[in-house]
Amino acid sequence: MSKAKRIHPLKIRPAPRPAGLVLDAQLHLLDRQMLDVDGVPVSTVDDVELSGPEPDERIPEGAEAPVISALLTGPVLGTRIFGGRPPSSRLIRIPWSVVAGVDTVVKLGVRSDSLDASWVERWLRHHVIPRIPGGRHDPH
Amino acid sequence: MILTDVLGSDVVDNSGQRLGEVSDVRFAVDASPGQLLSKARMVGIVVSPRTASSFLGYERRGITQPWPVAQLLRWRHRGSFLVLWEDIAVIGPREVVLRPGFTAYESTLAF
Repeated sequence: MSKAKRIHPLKIRPAPRPAGLVLDAQLHLLDRQMLDVDGVPVSTVDDVELSGPEPDERIPEGAEAPVISALLTGPVLGTRIFGGRPPSSRLIRIPWSVVAGVDTVVKLGVRSDSLDASWVERWLRHHVIPRIPGGRHDPH
Repeated sequence: MILTDVLGSDVVDNSGQRLGEVSDVRFAVDASPGQLLSKARMVGIVVSPRTASSFLGYERRGITQPWPVAQLLRWRHRGSFLVLWEDIAVIGPREVVLRPGFTAYESTLAF
């Protein structure tokens, strides 16, 4: 890896400040806990899906900036340790359109039961928990 | 496009000279907040000349405590800058190419 060319500090200008909420993906989104509308934990943000452009394709001047289309969650532990990332088909999408707020947690505006991300929990609730004695009713 | 494909990519200018690595991608939610957030558009990329890893964003925020950690991380990320989306010519998992005459902006967040 070659040494990076240094940009002279005097050439670095003050950045324009967007009027709304500013989010740095690593700082504010990745690895954050997602809570549903009732405050129930859903999953964590493992990756972010953007609309266009195609990787390594030349971007025409004046092209519209990409937007976040979905937050992704999935089995990333192995790839975090050994490198790479799981194939897109293994990642579960949570559309950005259901995100209600970004704070110390990412708040969703829907119930977790309506999301694919909570299928493991639903499957365990329906197939494993009822077989445990006392698992079919509320605790006394 | 998947975000982590871009994080850590080399950033080069139009002549192929390496400038650093993508340490973060900045988004802005412009429309007024409602029940759900409106679209988050990409503002640009944060380029760090030395390392793509960022720890708690010390170099982009006014955090000064604990003092030795803040100083060390700020020193490690010295020379970081923001490049706006308009100045990006190609974006990909291996490298990000900037347009000729791109402008480097301060990467600090408002605090």
